[in-house]
Amino acid sequence: MTLSEQILRGVLGAFFGTVGFAMLVHTPKRAWFVSGLIASLSYMVYWLMTYLGLPDPMAIFIGSLFGSLAGLLCARLMKIIGTVFLMSAVVPVVPGLGLYRMMAALGQGQIAAGAKTGIQAMITVAMIALGLGAGAFADRVLWSRSRKHRTP
Amino acid sequence: MKQLTESAPGSSCMDTLQLAGKIIMENGGETYRAEETINRMGAGFGLEQVDSFAVPSGLFVSYRSGDGEPVTSVRRVRREGRNLTRVDEVNRVSRLVAAGKLDGREALAQLKEIECHPGSFAGMWCLPAAFLCAAGFTLLFGGSLLSIAIAGAVAAFVQLMETGLSRFRTRGLAASILGGLLTALLPLLLSMALPALETELVIAGAVMPLVPGLAMTNAVQDTMRGDMVSGISHGVQAILTAFLIAGGALLAVEIMHLLTGGAA
Repeated sequence: MTLSEQILRGVLGAFFGTVGFAMLVHTPKRAWFVSGLIASLSYMVYWLMTYLGLPDPMAIFIGSLFGSLAGLLCARLMKIIGTVFLMSAVVPVVPGLGLYRMMAALGQGQIAAGAKTGIQAMITVAMIALGLGAGAFADRVLWSRSRKHRTP
Repeated sequence: MKQLTESAPGSSCMDTLQLAGKIIMENGGETYRAEETINRMGAGFGLEQVDSFAVPSGLFVSYRSGDGEPVTSVRRVRREGRNLTRVDEVNRVSRLVAAGKLDGREALAQLKEIECHPGSFAGMWCLPAAFLCAAGFTLLFGGSLLSIAIAGAVAAFVQLMETGLSRFRTRGLAASILGGLLTALLPLLLSMALPALETELVIAGAVMPLVPGLAMTNAVQDTMRGDMVSGISHGVQAILTAFLIAGGALLAVEIMHLLTGGAA
């Protein structure tokens, strides 16, 4: 796969996939486009970090942190609940494939391979949570004195 | 500031505050948001010593009435669905109440309307949404055009099944197992007729509409606000859902082993 194809797949795939996910949880219509945009950007940050040679967990942390900050900023500006954009930021890096591979390996009796894939998936989830948490903490510190943009 | 009178039948402050919290919690909102919204609306109504305590399965609200008597109420909450438009709408109403722009009766009337709000779309529009979600993520994972189309179709079918199950009030964990099973089994069966199908990518894409992204986000949000009970509850829900989906997929792999005699 060429570099441009990887980027195009990343941008379009994360955008449309996340818009579909946002529709499924009935997010407000005015948030759909921005949700897709945040997902595309945070996925591309993750992709860029791995492209630059960073280990996968670190890249996921940075991507989630970026998505968390961008999502909370958009939530304040658009006066939409933050959950809508935070969820969108992390959905593209959720390890669905990792969990399936773990189960497939376990199903075939490959316990060690299954456990390894499962642990990797768990690390990914932990890094996503850490990125979201760090972003939320940074957001609270940055905006704690501002009442103008406060989102209930 | 406009206040809601206790004397008006069926439209007490408590009704309004409880309904606001209930809508938030039953539609995928965080517990801290329910508490903050209740407190803010209570202050907007001019009530004194408004306090709220929300756990994932219940809601406690108290305040002092005009004659200084404490008024307390408990409400059971059942997490039924995921409708963030309703949560967002309650948020909007709470802002208006806090700003003194909305009368108590108007707030209650608007909340009752929000309770029946269908969300961003109604009916079978969830099928194209599931198709879009699965197709998009299969594209992201590097799938071919055929795999993208099949993943979308599988996800739409699973969504149809989930919608059907919801009519029998069997959504949730049972739907997660069945969803995981069908999401893995259908591509595995189709791969026997379509050798070019990238089975693993199709399953990874088709499973995306089922992933507990909302519960995971809520777990982090609640934990960050210091609400450990709700944070742990949402976290366990997310992990359990993920493992049930994966368990369903494992079942599908086992079924395929039985059908093919271990060749697949």
